[in-house]
Amino acid sequence: MAERIRRSLIQVLGVILIPILGLSGPSGYAMNQQVAAGVIRFGLDTGEPAKVVGQAAQLKGESAEYLRARLLLNSGEVDQARERFSAVFEGHAHRGESALRLAELALAMGDTDGAEHWFSEARRTGFGDVAQRALLGLAELARGKGERDAAGQYLARLDDGYRAAVGYMNLAADFAREDLDSSRALVSLRVAMAMASRDDNSVRAQALLDQLNLRAGFLTLNAGDHDKAIDFLEKVSLQGYHTPQALYFHGLALSGKGNHRAAMQSWHRAKKFPLAFPGVAEAWIGMGRGYDLSGYPGQAGESWLAANAAYESERVTLDKLADQIGHDGAFKTLVRDARVDEIQWFLADSRTLTQPRMAYLLRFMEAPDAQAAVRRVARLDELLVTLEESESDLDVFIDMMQVFGQRSDRDIAGIRSGGIQEVQAGLEAQLAGLVTKAQAAGQKAALEDLQWSLRVSGQRIAGWRSRMPEYPALIDSARQEASVHQGAIMGLRQRARALRKEAARELDDLALAFVDDQRERMSRVLNKTEQQIAHLYEYLALETLEGGAQ
Amino acid sequence: MFGRKKTQQCRSTPRTRGLFKSGYIVMAMVSSAHASSLDDQIQRLTADITRHTANVYALEQKLLHPVDTRVIVFLSIKDSDALELDSVELFVNQKPVTAHLYSDKERHSLGQGGIHQLFVGNLSDGPHSLRAVINARGANNRFVRRELVHDFRKESGTLHLQMRLSANAPDYDPDVSFSEWK
Repeated sequence: MAERIRRSLIQVLGVILIPILGLSGPSGYAMNQQVAAGVIRFGLDTGEPAKVVGQAAQLKGESAEYLRARLLLNSGEVDQARERFSAVFEGHAHRGESALRLAELALAMGDTDGAEHWFSEARRTGFGDVAQRALLGLAELARGKGERDAAGQYLARLDDGYRAAVGYMNLAADFAREDLDSSRALVSLRVAMAMASRDDNSVRAQALLDQLNLRAGFLTLNAGDHDKAIDFLEKVSLQGYHTPQALYFHGLALSGKGNHRAAMQSWHRAKKFPLAFPGVAEAWIGMGRGYDLSGYPGQAGESWLAANAAYESERVTLDKLADQIGHDGAFKTLVRDARVDEIQWFLADSRTLTQPRMAYLLRFMEAPDAQAAVRRVARLDELLVTLEESESDLDVFIDMMQVFGQRSDRDIAGIRSGGIQEVQAGLEAQLAGLVTKAQAAGQKAALEDLQWSLRVSGQRIAGWRSRMPEYPALIDSARQEASVHQGAIMGLRQRARALRKEAARELDDLALAFVDDQRERMSRVLNKTEQQIAHLYEYLALETLEGGAQ
Repeated sequence: MFGRKKTQQCRSTPRTRGLFKSGYIVMAMVSSAHASSLDDQIQRLTADITRHTANVYALEQKLLHPVDTRVIVFLSIKDSDALELDSVELFVNQKPVTAHLYSDKERHSLGQGGIHQLFVGNLSDGPHSLRAVINARGANNRFVRRELVHDFRKESGTLHLQMRLSANAPDYDPDVSFSEWK
C-alpha cells in the first residue's frame, strides 16, 4: 500500500514540477545579501561579470555601491563607473579602493594630474595593498616627471616585495640612462634585488631577479668590471627569456678577461636559442671572434660563414612569416599558432623557448602597442564566442518553450478539472487510514515521511492553482524575451566583426613593421660578419704575401 | 686581430632624418588617436554584450532552474592563509554533480571574501546527502584530501547551502561548516 501511495505521489509531484514554475522569479534569484556581495566579488575577480550582474539589485550594506561601481567598470560602462567611484569616495567605506580605481582611470585617460590626486587620496585613505599600489603609482608619476628624489622617497615607504623591486628597477633604468657613472643605477638594482627576494611568488621573483641580474651585469660590463659582471650574469637562470642575452654578455666579460675558450662556451650555448632572442645573433659573431682571438683564423672564418648562413636562413624565415601575416593575419600567425595546441603539454614546456615563432612572439610582445593590439583582437574574439554561445542557448530556450507551451496547456487543463486535487485528496484519505492501523515503529516512521511529502505537495498544488492563470502569459513573455535577445545578437555580431577586422588590421600593420625591423636587424648582422670575413681574408692574403716575400 | 667595432651608421642625412622623425610623430599621434577611438568602440560593444549576456544568463537561470526545486551550493573560505584550496568535488546523493579546480585568481578572490557559487541544480523534496571532497594544502605545506558529508532536507522553495572552509593550527586539517537558508 505504501509503495502505491509513493508511486501516486511521484506522479502528482511530476505534474507539479514542470519547469515553468520558475518563470515567476525575478531576473536574479533571491540571495542573502552578504552572500550576494561575496558572489559578485568572486565574479568580478575572476572576470565573469555577466554571470553576477543579475545579483546587483540585491546588494545592500556598505560595500554595495562600491561593488556596483566595479560591476559597471567591468561591464565597460566607464563613465558611470567613474561617477559611482567618486560617490563612494565621498562616503565612509571603500574610500581607498575607490580612489585607486579613479587614479587608474585617470591614468588610462592620460590625465596625470588627476591620477596624482587620486593616488594621493588612495594612499591617505587606503590600507595594506591599496596603499602600496598607490605609493608605487605616485613613485612612477614622479619618475615620469623627472623627480627622482621624490620617487625614491615614495619607494622607501613601500613594503619589501615585488612592487618595491619593480619601482627600484625603473629608477635604476633612469639613472643608467642619465648618469655617466653607473654607481647610482647599480645601488638601485641592488636594492631591487633585495626587495625581489622577499616576494612571496617565487616564479615571479625569479623572473624579475633574472632581469635585474642581467641589467646589473650589463652595467658592470660596460664599466669594465668583468668579475662583477660575471658574478651577476651567472645568477641568471638558464631557462628564461633573458638567458641568451645573459650568456652573450657573460661571454663578453670572459673574453674581456682574456679567457676566450670559456667565452666561446657561453656563446655556443646562446647559439642554441632562436635568432629572435636578444643576444643570439651577436653570440654567432662572437664565436668567430673567439676563434680569431685564440689564434685559429681558419675556424674563425668557418664560424662567420656559418653565422652568415644562419642569418640568411633567418631572413627566409622572416619572409615566410611576413607572407603568412599577409595571408592569415598576425593574430593567427603569431599568437594563435604559437600556442601549438597539438603538442603534448609535457613536450611543450621544453620546446617553448626553442621555437622561432614563439621567440618572435615574445619579442614582439615586449612593445606596449603590440600588447594593446593583441589584447583588442583577443577581447573581440572572446565577445564573438560569447555571442555564439548566447545564440545557441536562445535557440534551445525558444524550442523548449514551444514544447512547454503545449505541455502546460494540457497540465493546466488537468489541474482545472480538479484531477490532481482529487488524487491528492484520495492519497490523504488512504494515508490517514494507514496511520490509524500502523503499530510498528518502522511503519509509523515511514508513514510520517509520507505525510510530510503529501503535505508539501498539497502546499504546492494550492500555490500552483493560485498562480495558474498567469502561466500561459509568463511562457509567452519569456518566449518574446528570448526572441528579442535573439534578434539583438545579429546587430551585436556585425558590430563585433567590423571592430575585429579593424583591430586585426592594426595588429597586422604593427606585426609587419616588427618583421621588417627584424629583417633589417638580420641585414645588419649579416653586414658585420661579411666585414669580418673580408678583414680575415685581407689579413690572410697579407700574411701569405709576407711569407712569400721572406 | 679585431677589437670592438662601431656599427654602421644610418646613411640618411640629418635633414631627411628630421623629416622622418616628424613624420613618425604625426603617424604615432594619428595611430594613437585611432587606437583610442577603437578602444572606445570596443568598450561600448563590451558594455552592450555584457548587458545582453547577463539577460540571457538570467533567462537561462529562470528556465533551467525552477525556483521551487532549486538548490544552490556556495563555497567560502574563513582563513585563506591557513589553507590553499586546490580543488573541490561535490556529490549529491552519491552522484558527482560538479568538480572545480581553483586558479590563483579564484583563490585570491576567496581569500578577499569572495564566495564561489559552486553548484546550481534541482532536487526533489525530501532528505538528501551532500558529500564534498576537498583537496588543499595547509599552512604547514602538507597536502590533504578530506571528505565531508552533510545531510539535509529539501522543501518547497530555493535552498541555499553555504560551505565555509577553515583550518586550524597545528594540523591545518580542513574542516567545513554548513549553513542553510531558504
